[in-house]
Amino acid sequence: MRNAAPFRGGWPAAGIGLLLLFPLSCPDAFFLDVFTTGFLLAAFAASWDVVGGVSGQLTLGHALPFGAAAYACALLTSVAGWPLPLAVAAAVLLAAAVGTGIGALSTPLAGPFVALLTLASGEIAHEAAVGNTFFPGPGGYAWGGEGGIPVALPWRDASPFSSYYTALAFLCLASFGMLRFSRSGAGLILRAVAGSPITAQASGVPIARFKRLAFAVGSAFAGAAGAGFALHVGRATATDLSLELSFQAATFAAVGGRGTIVGPVVAALVLHVLFQGLSLPPSARVLLYALTLLVTLRFFPGGVVGTARDLASRLGGKGMRPPRRRGRNRSGEGTP
Amino acid sequence: MNTPLSAEGITKSFGATQVLSGVTLSVAPGEPVGLFGPNGSGKTTLVNILSGLLLPDAGAVRFDGKEITRLPIDARYRLGIARTFQIPHPYPALSVLEAVRVALAVDTGKRKERGGTLEDEEGPAEDLLARTGLFDQRFVPCAQLSQGCLRRLEFARALACRPKLLILDEIFSALSAADEDDLTALLRAANRDDGTAFLLVSHNPPLLKSLCRRILVIGEGRIVRERTAW
Repeated sequence: MRNAAPFRGGWPAAGIGLLLLFPLSCPDAFFLDVFTTGFLLAAFAASWDVVGGVSGQLTLGHALPFGAAAYACALLTSVAGWPLPLAVAAAVLLAAAVGTGIGALSTPLAGPFVALLTLASGEIAHEAAVGNTFFPGPGGYAWGGEGGIPVALPWRDASPFSSYYTALAFLCLASFGMLRFSRSGAGLILRAVAGSPITAQASGVPIARFKRLAFAVGSAFAGAAGAGFALHVGRATATDLSLELSFQAATFAAVGGRGTIVGPVVAALVLHVLFQGLSLPPSARVLLYALTLLVTLRFFPGGVVGTARDLASRLGGKGMRPPRRRGRNRSGEGTP
Repeated sequence: MNTPLSAEGITKSFGATQVLSGVTLSVAPGEPVGLFGPNGSGKTTLVNILSGLLLPDAGAVRFDGKEITRLPIDARYRLGIARTFQIPHPYPALSVLEAVRVALAVDTGKRKERGGTLEDEEGPAEDLLARTGLFDQRFVPCAQLSQGCLRRLEFARALACRPKLLILDEIFSALSAADEDDLTALLRAANRDDGTAFLLVSHNPPLLKSLCRRILVIGEGRIVRERTAW
């Protein structure tokens, strides 16, 4: 109900329309690639928001399901010789299983301890990926380590246009799925758990089960983004498991507005395209992300969407927007 | 007498401090019971143990003949034991209607039996809010409610599971006279119309006398007196 506001009206349709038209007005391969990566990162940021925003479980290891799915995709296609669709499906399931495991481990923890647990889990996986190399066959190059593992793609060179539109379609579908989840009964209960675990528990909510559900769903979407990323760049690398990536997702969510799904998607797209489009060196980008996060936390703690909502509620009264579906008054009369 | 809730020999210590030492009590179906005692006598600790928020060091809690000593608070709610908190902890980002829907949405098995969806709970949620006088504020964020409205919301949330037993921890403290009258009427109605038993913790003897058939007095970690007639 409350989260419906940013997605109401024609804004999303207008945004998608502009993105659909963009390649026609600017067919530059570099910018198309920047946007394609941006779409995948935006889906990843929204998946962080399912766990860290909607459910309030502050995760700093969200790159783990993203990278696990990327590596699974690479290993299953290149080493095990699985067909790509089957490998992608298995990768997403693996990511969901990883998320469920992390959720189960973090169940008795709260706040900063969840952050520390997820941070440690992600770093263990990252170090394992960096430190392990192997030879896939006689006389070949070593795989693994910093160089990562290639994905065996059934196509040779995907056109920037097809990659762009496929990634955009994925972002739209994934965002829609995550929005539906966040507005479902489970999403409502997760927002309750995030707001006051003790009241939720006293209302009959088995919070451990719902925490696991949040991690599983968020990780499945992160895994889908990770598999898509591996297909786009053609390999899984240790960067897919890095703390920097987890930090980026958390930054996008904080800037866009935690718990809104749409906010992190928009923030990820704008910040990624802006910083990447300026061709800044990686160190400068990290600095800019950190500065953006600091400014947001200091001056707009609710993020862009949260601040816009606060302004709207101050201007239009303090009540939340009633549901569109139906309404009634005490005499049972329906309202349009 | 059939006892939906009984506690026997409940003992609890925090470090070297013994808070409860062998508390035994029972509440019959539909019985309004009061719990009175000075500050630090162990009322809230006892309430936390009876509602499943704390585990006792020794002793047993039974409900409807079943041992529930180690059952957590959410499972006890689904069995029909609902509690309110002395200091309400509202959901800051949820509206009043959503807060009640959370309590109704939890799978008690009843919703699945009816084959209903979450949207089907909106009607019962609005009915509960109308009953507790919060209907006009159903779209107001919980964080913006007054103390009196927060207590009403606590009450509505507790009633959502159609409880057999309500455990009310100082629900009347820091309320205006009007809010106190309204809550008293609500509690009487729940007891009279739905047959809901309650254990009401309060510092206010006249209020306890007006609402309860039996008053237990707790002191130094044990039930020291029981009054049934006045």
